[in-house]
Amino acid sequence: MTHRSVEVPVIARVEGEGALHITVEDHEIRDLRLEIYEPPRFFEAFLAGRSYAEVPDITARICGICPVAYQMSSIHALERLFDVRLPDGMRELRRLLYCGEWIESHVLHVFLLAAPDFMGFENAIEMAKAAPDLVKKALEIKRIGNDLMAAIGGREIHPVSPRVGGFSKAPRRRDLEPFLPRLERALGELPGIADFVAGLPHPALPRPAEMVSLVHPHEYPMNEGRLASTAGRSFEAESFEQVTREVHVEHSNALHSVMADTGTPYFVGPLARLNLNADRLTPVARECLTRAGLSLPESDPFFSMAARVVETAVAIEEAIRIIREYAPPDPPVADVTPRAGRAAWVTEAPRGILYHRYDVEADGTIREAKIVPPTSQNLRHIEEDLRRFLPGALDRPDEELTRMCEMVVRNYDPCISCATHFLRLDVRRV
Amino acid sequence: MSGPIRVRVVGCGNPSAGDDAIGLLAAREVRSELEALPGVEVVEAGPALGVVHLLEGVEAAVVVDAVRSPTGRRAPGEIVRVEAGPDGLPADVATSLSSHGFGLAEAVGLAAALGGAPRILFLGVEVSDVAIGHPLSAAVAGALPRLVEIIRAETRAFVSTLGS
Repeated sequence: MTHRSVEVPVIARVEGEGALHITVEDHEIRDLRLEIYEPPRFFEAFLAGRSYAEVPDITARICGICPVAYQMSSIHALERLFDVRLPDGMRELRRLLYCGEWIESHVLHVFLLAAPDFMGFENAIEMAKAAPDLVKKALEIKRIGNDLMAAIGGREIHPVSPRVGGFSKAPRRRDLEPFLPRLERALGELPGIADFVAGLPHPALPRPAEMVSLVHPHEYPMNEGRLASTAGRSFEAESFEQVTREVHVEHSNALHSVMADTGTPYFVGPLARLNLNADRLTPVARECLTRAGLSLPESDPFFSMAARVVETAVAIEEAIRIIREYAPPDPPVADVTPRAGRAAWVTEAPRGILYHRYDVEADGTIREAKIVPPTSQNLRHIEEDLRRFLPGALDRPDEELTRMCEMVVRNYDPCISCATHFLRLDVRRV
Repeated sequence: MSGPIRVRVVGCGNPSAGDDAIGLLAAREVRSELEALPGVEVVEAGPALGVVHLLEGVEAAVVVDAVRSPTGRRAPGEIVRVEAGPDGLPADVATSLSSHGFGLAEAVGLAAALGGAPRILFLGVEVSDVAIGHPLSAAVAGALPRLVEIIRAETRAFVSTLGS
């Protein structure tokens, strides 16, 4: 009997730290566990006893890549409970902020994290040496996203202006107008980028998947909508904890999300959104969809990179529209009167649906917080994908097997944590 | 502060993760003094991922972050000083720096690979505790005054070498 154990304690180019353990016996996978440290658990405890007004600043610290998503799910949830009347323009300004985060996060993943895998480069630095113009172009687009977030959210480490009720300060028209030519230029590059992605060799992993995202009657969903799945489910954020269930995984601290009734996993993120919202795509995004070689429905996770390019186009087109029509919300922050109850909301983080629920006292003190990030919802699917993908590759050398595992995991763009940032890669053979 | 920014001091880290906050704390400490110098900007950058854009458009950069030796050969609080070469940071430092798999070492390496990277001086502080919600460890807190001194001296040196 041959017995081999592959451990990838930290997966390079994945947000935060994760560990993958695989045990192979007689050319078959005996055990496969993806362990991920989840910082929301700490933040859930940290939020208890705090005032509702502190929540956006605390939740922004959960992720260094998608602070806006964490702020938006919390703010919308609390405003819904407190029945806050928002001034005109607030909704659009928040969507613009979210566009900035999608642009920044998607371009980062496509060019700096995933493309080097498919192009056979060790990392983005090697890719930049071989294709400097492409990487420069990508970095400029990513920078527009960063700059938009800074112009709206503030230039500090995390956005500081979003508040329950609005923004502590709303940008003026002249703060946003200079973005228009940059966004137009970036939009002009997108179809070419879709061609580039279509031309990348990538593995195929056709498998059925129940995909879940928000759907909205008038727009491609970011901040609001109803939840829907490709298996025909339709539900509100308030029933998220009844429709889905988190299950403890043996020998691990991780929680896996599954559908409560069937116990089966589901899949969230750009490809899920695209499948469920294809009819809400903006014009250039639609062109990018075709040119990236994506025809819907599609559940092969390796099309996620193409989906990110399509959504980058959505975010750019929406940002252009919003800035053209922009008038600062007045007042920038609405009156908020707290009240007791349960607040729940879902927004579409770049990586997929992000659920927040708060149980609140009458004075606005948070009694209990619950946060379910997109990555923990995808964990079960990532493990199942690895089980499907790896059998053909089990006899390859450790180094190659590790690379393949990393590519499968990385393709999901898992945001494991921004908690610590140390890479300790160690491969052991038993 | 007036005129174009020529030297940028960048502090990286996570304010909620123990010793990982050291770069941010150092940047905060030197901000008012160094921003009074002509052409100097001090930025608290959060995760090192954002640093790639902060290395553009300046002639020199002082980048400060937490590091962890893969072999444990550095003591907590030990300060590492490295100048980036044409290929970015030396491998032995780079391996202890990567953040989220795409971090400071990659940001510096990417700037170098794309050309036009500024002169980059990296200052790292060896950490002992980076758990979320933990305070700075005694060893790393003890290194802060010395780190701040080094940042001041190195930034002033950059400003005087660049001339007017």
